[in-house]
Amino acid sequence: MEKQELIQYFNVNFFIPELSAATKDEALDEITSKFVENRCIRNQDILLAMLKQRENLGSTGIGKAIAIPHGRSTSVKDVMIAFGKSEKGIDFGAVDNKPVHLIFMVVAPPIEQSNKYLPILGKLVETINNIKNRKALMQVQTFEDLKNFFNED
Amino acid sequence: MNNRDLEVLVNLQDLDMMIAEMAEVEKLGFNVQGKENLEEARNELIRKMSKPLLYKYEKLKKRYKRAIVPVQDDVCLGCFMRLPTSFSAKGREDAMVYECEGCGRILYWLD
Repeated sequence: MEKQELIQYFNVNFFIPELSAATKDEALDEITSKFVENRCIRNQDILLAMLKQRENLGSTGIGKAIAIPHGRSTSVKDVMIAFGKSEKGIDFGAVDNKPVHLIFMVVAPPIEQSNKYLPILGKLVETINNIKNRKALMQVQTFEDLKNFFNED
Repeated sequence: MNNRDLEVLVNLQDLDMMIAEMAEVEKLGFNVQGKENLEEARNELIRKMSKPLLYKYEKLKKRYKRAIVPVQDDVCLGCFMRLPTSFSAKGREDAMVYECEGCGRILYWLD
């Protein structure tokens, strides 16, 4: 999978330029509520239960100010990536114990024909592990900026 | 069976999918340390279910891998059988646990 392919899973409706959440739970709630508002999921509680269970397994705060909460849920129709930024930072219990400023939430249905969920997750981690990419993502202000970032070589 | 049963069933399936993919997610570099917590959470969900419902779930899971399948546009996404419209109207209310008349899988309405 190429970095450019990831943009198709983002949506302007799930782009949150400044999260109001102050805690991890609030952030999960704020982001998943975007899926409900846009009628992409019907039951937020089911999705939240899965995401919180995943966090109990180990924080998805991968360090360097980034978290990627993720998982498959029966309540999800399609693979979707939501993106949220927090200027003040959120305590996500990240591996480096530092606050998280960028959140990519990746959710997927139980079965998808293209079977892209794990490759998407892997490509996202690979992209974020690059310091140049991280710096560029920190500068993202609009959905257009995000699209431009992923469309770049 | 009631709507709480369906929610518990869906939670259980989500948890089972997480357990199944744990090793692959770990390979991607994610922190996956509390594996025992998942088993504990699974047992907790099971305690909330009736034995016949759990038996049905496990039997369907063994047969199809996924016991609960989504319904989209009145179609069971397990066997692609079209469901009666009246059936879908009731299913959306989450008031009961419905099974597909074609494949027997438990249905979950996405819209």
